[in-house]
Amino acid sequence: MKVLIFEDSNWINLTPLSYIKPVFELRCGFSTLFDKIRCKVEKMEIGLWVREYLINLIKAKYNYPVNDESFFMDDLLLINSRWLVTSKDKIEIIDEGIYQSEGDFVYAVLKQGTVKKIWDGDIDRFISEIKNHVKKEEKNVRIIKYPWHFIHFNSEILQDDFEFIGKSGIKGKFHSNAIIYGDEKRVYTEKDSEVHPFVVLDTHAGPIYIDKKAKIFPNARIEGPCYIGEDTQIMPGANIREGNSFGPVCRIGGEVEESIFHSYSNKYHDGFIGHSYIGEFVNLGALTTNSDLKNDYSSVVVYVNGKPVDTGELKVGSFIGDHTKTSIGVFFNTGSSVGMMCNVTSGGILPKFFPSFIWYINGRYMKGLGIEMMLKTAKIAMERRGRTLSLEEEEVIRKVYEITEEQRKEYISKSRKIT
Amino acid sequence: MEKQEIEARVKKIISKILGVDEGKITSESRFVEDLGTESVQSLELVAAFEEEFGIEMEEDAALEVKTVDKAIEFIKKHLENK
Repeated sequence: MKVLIFEDSNWINLTPLSYIKPVFELRCGFSTLFDKIRCKVEKMEIGLWVREYLINLIKAKYNYPVNDESFFMDDLLLINSRWLVTSKDKIEIIDEGIYQSEGDFVYAVLKQGTVKKIWDGDIDRFISEIKNHVKKEEKNVRIIKYPWHFIHFNSEILQDDFEFIGKSGIKGKFHSNAIIYGDEKRVYTEKDSEVHPFVVLDTHAGPIYIDKKAKIFPNARIEGPCYIGEDTQIMPGANIREGNSFGPVCRIGGEVEESIFHSYSNKYHDGFIGHSYIGEFVNLGALTTNSDLKNDYSSVVVYVNGKPVDTGELKVGSFIGDHTKTSIGVFFNTGSSVGMMCNVTSGGILPKFFPSFIWYINGRYMKGLGIEMMLKTAKIAMERRGRTLSLEEEEVIRKVYEITEEQRKEYISKSRKIT
Repeated sequence: MEKQEIEARVKKIISKILGVDEGKITSESRFVEDLGTESVQSLELVAAFEEEFGIEMEEDAALEVKTVDKAIEFIKKHLENK
């Protein structure tokens, strides 16, 4: 039996985070959705299925077959990449059937005959057709439908990942004037990590995992549950509240609460970020702050691909796409969605939705410096962290620039003084 | 639209956005070196020209324009092709 981890057309509901990466690369807890699924099926033959414009990029990044139709000629375990797998979740490969969670596809076990009968080349049609051919069963699992779901589940998943990995103790440098406040067994520091003097690791509310080469500078206070990724640095005096995941090579200062920084992003300075998901190669200028709670305590509305969606949650921060930059002193409204490669400058009450590649200056949406200049900036930012923008990545960014053009023009046009 | 009219309106916009005395803006003035235009201001200029003349300028091409005279020519060309 082969395994196919796929993304369906719901990737659009995870924008701006999912514009230049497949859904399964998004992060929750210690790792990505893909890493968590792979743990359950690593002995099987794995294939990936992504939206068309990502195919070349994913082929270049992974050693797995990508959008390989031969997978539909065999017995098949089909897994939705929006499934946030925990250590307790089990995949039962006994009978043919489809497993759903509140109507959303989780996974299906299919015999070759059924697969061949249904497959017509379209993954979304295939998914919706399966239920007419095999038995259905409900599963109580976590499916990511919108960006704020990553934040909703992050604390629980951090705890689960720590227990699943099962490591505890100090393997890196730990200064004698740094302390663990709470249960010492709930801390693990990897080799080559550094915890400097007067750092407080508070484990009363959850565990803290500090990965390889991560550095925690003096006077930082870190509350568990928390994951600090490889080569990430926590700046002096930072106030890292509960429920944060920092992917590799981030620089984090100021106050951060219940947030995910995907990787390679900077928030060096003071300012508060809470209940937010910050993409890759994002740079937040000094004092950039987001609201995550409305003054009337009503549920937060977030714009998903330009349309308002009631989250049903009281605490929701910002969702910021890859390569976006903010100036000093930007204050994001509760539940803001900021596209990829945007440039947002401070000034007044900001809108809650920023189409990708837009510049927001003096209270108005504007065209940016053009795609060529934005790519040039991205290349510089990546080189500063030892990364190169691959041809495949560049191709994907250009494609997203194209598919978001209409939305961008609409917002610029609305923002005009004279139209 | 005559070139003189475009020039007058262009200079007025430049003066307003960059805070430079209109009398000091010549056709030869270079946006960055002579008028001190920052990248953010160049985007404001593009937006203001588009609004003033009802035209659509392609970002990469617009940002290649380095002098006031070239901006006037650029806008004139867009108006002719409208």
